[in-house]
Amino acid sequence: MTALLDIRGLTIDIARDGGPARVVDGIDLAIQQGESVGIVGESGCGKSLTMLSLVGLLPNRIRATGGSAMFGGRDLLKLGPKELRKVRGSEIGFIFQDPMTSLNPVIRVGDQIAEALIWQKGLAKEAAQARAVELLELVGIPGPAERARAWPHELSGGMRQRVMIAMGLAGHPRLLIADEPTTALDVTIQAQIVDLVRELKDKMQMAVVWITHDLALIAGLADRIAVLYAGTVVEDAPVSAIFERPTHPYTRGLLASLPTLAGAAMERLPSIGGTPPEPGRRPPGCPFAPRCAHAVAACAEAVPRLAPVPGSDPRHRVACPVMTERAAA
Amino acid sequence: MTAPLIEIAGLSKRFDLRVGAFGERSATVHALDDFTATVIEGETLSLVGESGCGKSTTGFCLLNLHRPTGGSVRYRGQEIAGLDEDAMRPLRRELQIVFQDPYSTLNPRMTIGEALAEPILFHGLATKADLPARVTRLLADVGLTPRFANRYPHELSGGQRQRVAIARALACEPRFIVCDEAISALDVSVQAQILNLLLDLQEKYGLTYLFIAHDLAVVRHISDRVGVMYLGRLAELAPAGALFSQPMHPYTRALLSAVPEPDPKSARSRQRLQGEVPSPLNPPQGCRFHTRCPIARDACRSAVPAWREVATGHHVACHAVSAPDKLNWEGTE
Amino acid sequence: MTAIAEDDRPSSLWRDAWKRLRRNRLAVIGLFIIAILVIVAAFGPWMSPYDFLSQNLDARNQPPSGLHWLGTDDLGRDVLSRLIYGARTAFLVAVGVTVAAVLIGVVLGAIAGFYGGAFDRFVMWFTDMTMSVPQLLLVVVINASLKQPISLWMEARYMETLNPIWRNSAIIDFVLVFGSMALITWPPYARLVRAQVLSVRGRPYVTAARALGLTNRIILMRYVLPNAMGPLIVAVSAGLGTAMVLESAFSFLGVGVTPPTPSWGNMISDGLRVWTNYPHLLLAPAAVLAVVTVAFNFLGDGLNDALNPKGQK
Repeated sequence: MTALLDIRGLTIDIARDGGPARVVDGIDLAIQQGESVGIVGESGCGKSLTMLSLVGLLPNRIRATGGSAMFGGRDLLKLGPKELRKVRGSEIGFIFQDPMTSLNPVIRVGDQIAEALIWQKGLAKEAAQARAVELLELVGIPGPAERARAWPHELSGGMRQRVMIAMGLAGHPRLLIADEPTTALDVTIQAQIVDLVRELKDKMQMAVVWITHDLALIAGLADRIAVLYAGTVVEDAPVSAIFERPTHPYTRGLLASLPTLAGAAMERLPSIGGTPPEPGRRPPGCPFAPRCAHAVAACAEAVPRLAPVPGSDPRHRVACPVMTERAAA
Repeated sequence: MTAPLIEIAGLSKRFDLRVGAFGERSATVHALDDFTATVIEGETLSLVGESGCGKSTTGFCLLNLHRPTGGSVRYRGQEIAGLDEDAMRPLRRELQIVFQDPYSTLNPRMTIGEALAEPILFHGLATKADLPARVTRLLADVGLTPRFANRYPHELSGGQRQRVAIARALACEPRFIVCDEAISALDVSVQAQILNLLLDLQEKYGLTYLFIAHDLAVVRHISDRVGVMYLGRLAELAPAGALFSQPMHPYTRALLSAVPEPDPKSARSRQRLQGEVPSPLNPPQGCRFHTRCPIARDACRSAVPAWREVATGHHVACHAVSAPDKLNWEGTE
Repeated sequence: MTAIAEDDRPSSLWRDAWKRLRRNRLAVIGLFIIAILVIVAAFGPWMSPYDFLSQNLDARNQPPSGLHWLGTDDLGRDVLSRLIYGARTAFLVAVGVTVAAVLIGVVLGAIAGFYGGAFDRFVMWFTDMTMSVPQLLLVVVINASLKQPISLWMEARYMETLNPIWRNSAIIDFVLVFGSMALITWPPYARLVRAQVLSVRGRPYVTAARALGLTNRIILMRYVLPNAMGPLIVAVSAGLGTAMVLESAFSFLGVGVTPPTPSWGNMISDGLRVWTNYPHLLLAPAAVLAVVTVAFNFLGDGLNDALNPKGQK
């Protein structure tokens, strides 16, 4: 079965004063039809840039410089701006983190959705507006016909994020990329939005890529998780394997440092020392080696590649020779 | 560990706003209503709740950074609510705050060393000659090397800046620190570092924390007592263990059930709150939670529930909860 | 913590801005031209081939030649020498007027923005009033009404003291011209500073400074103003050029620097009367003025980019 989206060897560079700095360093990632994948990592690990590069939305001075991203028989990285615009929205939908600033404050929300439909689907104005109301209803906005005439500032944060989701779904995409869509929301609203996206994924039979820093959130949401560190995938596995057999020392560190509502309280959380390397200041070899308790001399030499973890799920791959060896023994 | 450090009674804060296109109407935001609690010396008291619940306002009012509209704050017996800036100044040294966003709480034009030296010199806590040693010691306290003194904030990572912000609060040799979402903006792996640092410093200097956060899992790990707030009012206040094992207020229960668990198999029956937090411009009558409460009754719509101690140290404001053995939960979920 | 171990030199925001400025070619050109202007203004008397006042009625309105590189004017004065002396006037006008206007603007704007309240309302009302009066009219009125009494007063001082300084008409020029120009150019600076201060005042590090117990004066001087200065520096750079153009406009209207003190403005206004016959008398000062004004604007743009880097972290 061919993957819906197949990213191979993607590299992304930032143009800096002292020459380009690499932020994404050879990411391989495949997403299957209808799959729900979590991309987890800390700020600056390249998780958002990777996804933005697919649809040509990288900020100024940041550019995809290598690799390929096959989607529906085309390499997204080679498409021109016009073709990418078609892909955006109609084939790949996007939901952004901040619903406060991602909506145009001077256009009524219904019109904003309708505008996208007119552009992408060539709908007539009335048809587009009717469809916009349907979409608002789909994302669980009460009184969708009235709300379509509301201005963005008249809606609460949760409602705005629902509008953003409606816009992301407007073209009936096969792939929805949700970039930290709940980070700016309160926990009770977050739970509502998570339920909504999960429900819509089944209803519309699309694949969802959920970009997040929140391992707890993604646990109940994704089929598979890819853990990113400093621009590389360090572990890629079905969600159960990640939580039952976290193998990469970074994944383990992240999980250990996560405070939970279960288990013993009032104790020091284990933490990972140091900070992630800045782009352009990556150490040679494994980027995590300087912070890693299990690092051996070889770690500083070669960049480890993703390899299957012996004895775990066949789809469980990790970029750490030390741990794979240990698992085999 | 039982002496009260700060006694807060009936603390309220209203903000008057001009609304409408031309500011022609005035409106009042009920940010904080009738907050009564005691902060015990040496403890970590946490306040949790969703945005607009008044937890940060409480912190700001305690320190007189917002002038309370009503109520009293007694710090070691002295009334400080509404003191003017001059009278407040000597107390500021003892009552410190660390803010959420380490990117914006440091003056971008001052080096770390200057930022740390300023409060020390201002409050006369060291002579000019002792200053470098003092700055070095502060940096060491928060796990930074002395060379950071020559750096500017924009050269530091988020975690490092938050360490500097903590060092700056420590520079005043305070007794009490408000941590206002102090780790919320940090990455997961850095959050744990900063939390541990705060706990270390508390041990070392006998600090008292008011820890304001929205992340319940974090709060559970570091708090002695936890207060849950909703729309400007305290809903529940209890020792951390009791609050998380035996939450009484329906809002606390909903909040806890909304927290995602890092376990893909956790098929917890999640209780979903419907709707959203009403606007603090026009809060509901009676119990402010009644519009979203799964067990709301008629009384909840008209009467403000009393703040009652239903078990030792366990306070709740809910009509349905009078005593822990008589919880009216069954059949409502 | 390891990330910054190698390079221990702190990079302050100003130093970074200077680095960015140096990479901006137009800004460097502007800076270079301004440097020449400063040198010429400082060392003009030693550089100019002739005295700016010496007339040679045998060589009037001469075109540029080996003897007079830029020709002579209707009184036979060397145009290049007058331009060089004019640089001094232009520089003094630009700096004097701008410094005065910025001082007024910063003090009023900062206090109004920082403390707010009734003083703020009063300052803003006063600023709006000043801006709503037609500028040229105000300057003409000031000059027309004050020139006479001031020169009478100075004459009286001279009779009392016999100190020749009271007979130097350049003082009247500068006091009146600078003063009146500063009076019409300060409001934009006040508004800019106030807006900046208002925005900086709400930043978390100002709240943090309050929480440390620091006094308002320290907060204003060390936290608010340094962070509000960026846009002001850009405005000042452009304002220096504008002040020169303004001086020319006033000279043209006859309320600028009094002849025979050379200023580019009165050279232009003299040249304009005869430009069909002797275009060099207009072209030379106009070109110099244009080049210097553009230089200030290049520098201003460069500063703007350097102080507000976009697309950088």
